[in-house]
Amino acid sequence: MIKILPKADLATTIDQWRVEATVYAPVRQEEVVGFQPLTGSGNGCFTLDANSRYPPKSLFLPQSEALFRVAGSDLEPVEGDLSERIVFGIRPCDARACQLLDGVFAGTEYTDPYWSEKRRHTTLVALGCTDPCETCFCTAVGSGPFDSRGADVMLTDIGEVYVAQADTAQGEALLSRLQDASQEQIDASSQAQAEARAAMARPFELDGIRETLYGLFDDEFWYDVQQPCLGCGVCTFLCPTCHCFDIVDEAQRGERVRNWDTCMFQIYSQEASGHNPRPTNVERTRQRIMHKYAYFGELYDEVGCTGCGRCVRYCPAGIDMRQIIRSSQSRG
Amino acid sequence: MDELAQAIRAEAARLLAEDVVDVVIGFQAGSLALRPQPAFFTDASGVDTLIYNGFCQNNLATYLARRSREERVGIVCRGCESRAIRVLVSEHRHDREGLYLIGIPCEGIIDWRKAEREAGLGPGGFAEVLSVSEQGDEVLLSTRRGEYRLQRERVLHDSCKRCAYPDPVGTDITLGEPAGADAREPRWGLVDAFEALSPEERYQSFVQEAERCIRCYACREACPMCYCTECFVDYTTPRWAESMITPSGTHAWHIIRAFHQTGRCASCGACERACPMDIKMTYLTDKLDRDMLEQYDYEVGAAEGAPPPFATFTLDDQDQFVR
Amino acid sequence: MEKSTQNPYQPMPMYIARTAVETEDHSLRSVELAFQHDSDRERFFSGYRPGQFCQLSIFGKGEASFGVASAAWEGSFVRFTINKIGVFTKAIHGMQPGDPIGMRGALGTWYPVEEWKGADIVVIGGGYAFTTLYALTKHLLDPKLRQEYGDLTVIYGAREPGLFLYKPEMKMWSRRDDVTLFQTIDTPREDWDGLTGYVPTVTKELAPRADNAVAFVCGPPVMIKFTLPVLNELGFPPDRIYTSLERRMKCGIGKCGRCNIGPKYVCKDGPVFSLAALGELPAEF
Repeated sequence: MIKILPKADLATTIDQWRVEATVYAPVRQEEVVGFQPLTGSGNGCFTLDANSRYPPKSLFLPQSEALFRVAGSDLEPVEGDLSERIVFGIRPCDARACQLLDGVFAGTEYTDPYWSEKRRHTTLVALGCTDPCETCFCTAVGSGPFDSRGADVMLTDIGEVYVAQADTAQGEALLSRLQDASQEQIDASSQAQAEARAAMARPFELDGIRETLYGLFDDEFWYDVQQPCLGCGVCTFLCPTCHCFDIVDEAQRGERVRNWDTCMFQIYSQEASGHNPRPTNVERTRQRIMHKYAYFGELYDEVGCTGCGRCVRYCPAGIDMRQIIRSSQSRG
Repeated sequence: MDELAQAIRAEAARLLAEDVVDVVIGFQAGSLALRPQPAFFTDASGVDTLIYNGFCQNNLATYLARRSREERVGIVCRGCESRAIRVLVSEHRHDREGLYLIGIPCEGIIDWRKAEREAGLGPGGFAEVLSVSEQGDEVLLSTRRGEYRLQRERVLHDSCKRCAYPDPVGTDITLGEPAGADAREPRWGLVDAFEALSPEERYQSFVQEAERCIRCYACREACPMCYCTECFVDYTTPRWAESMITPSGTHAWHIIRAFHQTGRCASCGACERACPMDIKMTYLTDKLDRDMLEQYDYEVGAAEGAPPPFATFTLDDQDQFVR
Repeated sequence: MEKSTQNPYQPMPMYIARTAVETEDHSLRSVELAFQHDSDRERFFSGYRPGQFCQLSIFGKGEASFGVASAAWEGSFVRFTINKIGVFTKAIHGMQPGDPIGMRGALGTWYPVEEWKGADIVVIGGGYAFTTLYALTKHLLDPKLRQEYGDLTVIYGAREPGLFLYKPEMKMWSRRDDVTLFQTIDTPREDWDGLTGYVPTVTKELAPRADNAVAFVCGPPVMIKFTLPVLNELGFPPDRIYTSLERRMKCGIGKCGRCNIGPKYVCKDGPVFSLAALGELPAEF
């Protein structure tokens, strides 16, 4: 189904959506853009000129989430907020990342109900990137600025209107009241998409990356890569595909909670005996890179990175993930 | 700036060739012109990649904790790094004899995010910059699309504008011309502004900054003074700060970390530069620094060999409880 | 929310049925857990096999993983033998019969004895890692199963006599003719007339026959490191040697990410691995 959503009608369309669901959109607070529930009306409430800093995976895997509450001597599961949500303005890289994480949380013999329920009640209206950023590298990891996998609706900006393509039943339900797109408009959107894709430089090619990285497992390469690394959690917490979490009993709250965790912290794998299979930043950095670009692919058939570029932008030590992959290939 | 980089390179090469040090910690160009990376040179022939410019935003002293104590380390240091190192030495983290300080007078670190905004480069635009050049009061960014001439004053990092110690102290060698100690803004400007607020306003201001915190601990890792192998925030008994990104946990994190910096913080601002969520936090440590100055006449890194104030007890301590 | 069966993070409510001190220094204690709900018990025993582990849950202390130390035929309880080493284990050591406790499981892979019917079984354990091997041996001693296998040899080492687990049972095994038990301690003592020597050395001396035999090895890393070459020399190929790995775990179901070795999760694709499978994984131990 392909419809058009005129920019002039955007605010009223969102207001209509807000009758049935909470609409999340990128909201700017000074220099920081983040996905917030819209409380007001009008185009001024949200911003579409930059992606969020904090990844929208937080809408399905909150950074801190109470799993259970104490009830006598038992633990009762915490009922999350299961109201309908629409996430407007999510970028293809982030929508695709949520789809990859479905493989982790719902694709095996165990289904994570906390993740799955939120996914079931949320519709993703993605805004494709007609003007990709310099730090974006989605095309290098098998995705692209208009990759609609993971999105219920994909919007392409062709000037006065968005061409809106719905690929799922949820998406079609959302667009049903809109006008059909003309062939001319559909062509214009294909053109915009092709131009955006062509404009992106690919910093590396992924062919054989798994073999390359496995081949470097015992190499000095990792020592060199990790030297400037501070071992903080910026790259992992801002990453839309990172999913590691810790489960902690916060006795003072009477809750068993889970929080995002990172393989970059020293205590991540440390055992009660004191033994740590990843004792230094060398092993931890190797794990970080190999999990993304090798192991994830073996588990879920796709590289665990959608090229959003947040790690490149926000690493406090200026480490560039794209550069690491490139170096691994020239080294290996 | 280029002359300075050349001088650093020459000194680094000499130190390595003459086996004075095992490693020189400095900066090298990353893949992005506005984001130089800390670099570790172990061979005189490799120092050609060493660079230095106003975008070198990391406090290199934090890497001392990540090297082996047996290593003899040469380290490029500006005012803040050299003062931090004085504290680390007084806390017995390193032997002074094992360090060789290459002093660099500092004209202030440029905030790449401000530069991106000033140049109107749009999100991710900083990555379009192919080269930078600093000429006096101006910073020139060259991109494929054109050149952008920025006023240095407008893109300096906030902490650097208040810096009272741009010239390094206690160095083994100092390169370049002294920068002079005239801070562009009053040293205690942030503290004064905060103290002018009512208690309610202060609390709101603190809460608003802390709200964005994602407990990534980039501030901690970027800080040379945070070297504890087990950080208080990971303790379960007692639970000083709850693990969740709730106000309770996050406020405890910020406040306790600030207090752990008392008498140790060199006001370098590396914490703020590392923060991915643009959180301001130096107003807390600035306040503690001023308290130390006013109450104990103590200034971080001002005197070589000054003992750490909170680990030193004398018979004529002004506090009775010690005796 | 949904029933506990559908929330894989929700512990089943259990209670402590019995406790027993295993070692002289009181560092190791066995606890037997009973089910509060019949449906949980039925579901557990329909799938449980020795080698698997459970996540035990005490609110306020968190969860921790423990290998199951009982065979299904022993009764409707689940036994764990626990070393007092930290906050959680200290709490369990202080628990009494009747106390409530949570349990998730059985999780992970098991010792795949069913694939080796007709073979001789060699069980080699050291220290308190013996727990799941104890479960495996008991499982095989069930008369209905025992006849389907050849010789059953158990080599069990501890630092000193007081540190052996399941002492009454070990005495009984010494008198049985359907299992051959060798117990060894590190260095000679007056009050010990059994074997002395580290497990790898004793294994080499006893030289269990390798053809048509499968070895299950569990112990501290250093013991495993030196026992594997011995088995290799004796002629056990990598696909007939199994071991059980340990890792810090949280979710136990392959989602939280932390227990991986390469693309495998120790909680889900392990903890039991054949040496052949381990050989394909990156060396991160």
